[in-house]
Amino acid sequence: MTWLAFCLIMLSLLLAVAGQIFFKLAMSDHLVAAFRVRVFRFVCGIVVMTIGFFIWLGLLSRFNLSFLYPFEGIDRILLAFFASWFLHEKMTLDLWLGVILISVGVALVATS
Amino acid sequence: MSGVSQPVVQRSVFGRLLNPYLQLGICIVVSAAAQIFLKLGADSAEVGGPVASLRSGWVWLGMIALVGSLVSWLIALRTIPLIIAFNLVGATQVLVPLGSWVFLGEAIGPLRWVGILLVTLGVVIIARPLARMEDRL
Repeated sequence: MTWLAFCLIMLSLLLAVAGQIFFKLAMSDHLVAAFRVRVFRFVCGIVVMTIGFFIWLGLLSRFNLSFLYPFEGIDRILLAFFASWFLHEKMTLDLWLGVILISVGVALVATS
Repeated sequence: MSGVSQPVVQRSVFGRLLNPYLQLGICIVVSAAAQIFLKLGADSAEVGGPVASLRSGWVWLGMIALVGSLVSWLIALRTIPLIIAFNLVGATQVLVPLGSWVFLGEAIGPLRWVGILLVTLGVVIIARPLARMEDRL
């Protein structure tokens, strides 16, 4: 795997995570935001996810799915970091334990 | 697990349907079903590639299911923290191989069973404190 491929995999995962953060910002009942602002955030989420999706498609055309898919396990670890950073969501020890178990599990389900 | 319970504020049928945890459950089941439908559709299309598969009713059903799962995901995001919602939806990763085993007759290797077990364990660990919280409502 080249350095560039690794960067592209990470970029694709980060864009998927960014999309989810935009969705949360668009939907959250706990935030005060005008409807227009929410629609804008939703559209940002769709755009960012679409770019990530096409990068992923490009990677899929060059690498085996069994090599690429386990990286999907990482996205929930990235999401945990960014959600606690940007959305100030509280992380507990239980939550970290669950996140890590699911990540490893997803990677195993995907590879085997 | 007690599964879905209704918040005290929402007593109407519509209000109960909008319960975020019910919506998250719907999202999990419907997105797993979507993958199975799409696979059935892709298989029934035989040769001809992605465009020909649009002629299959299964593919359309799969796409409708995908849109439906997105809608319930968005409703769930109104109140459930993103980290929790995203990881509970990880249960889809268990349902898809189990569904392909039951409905499509695909084999599950030993390593994949271990993965399924780990994901289930992780989801239970995350869901347990939520079930307790809901009980107090």
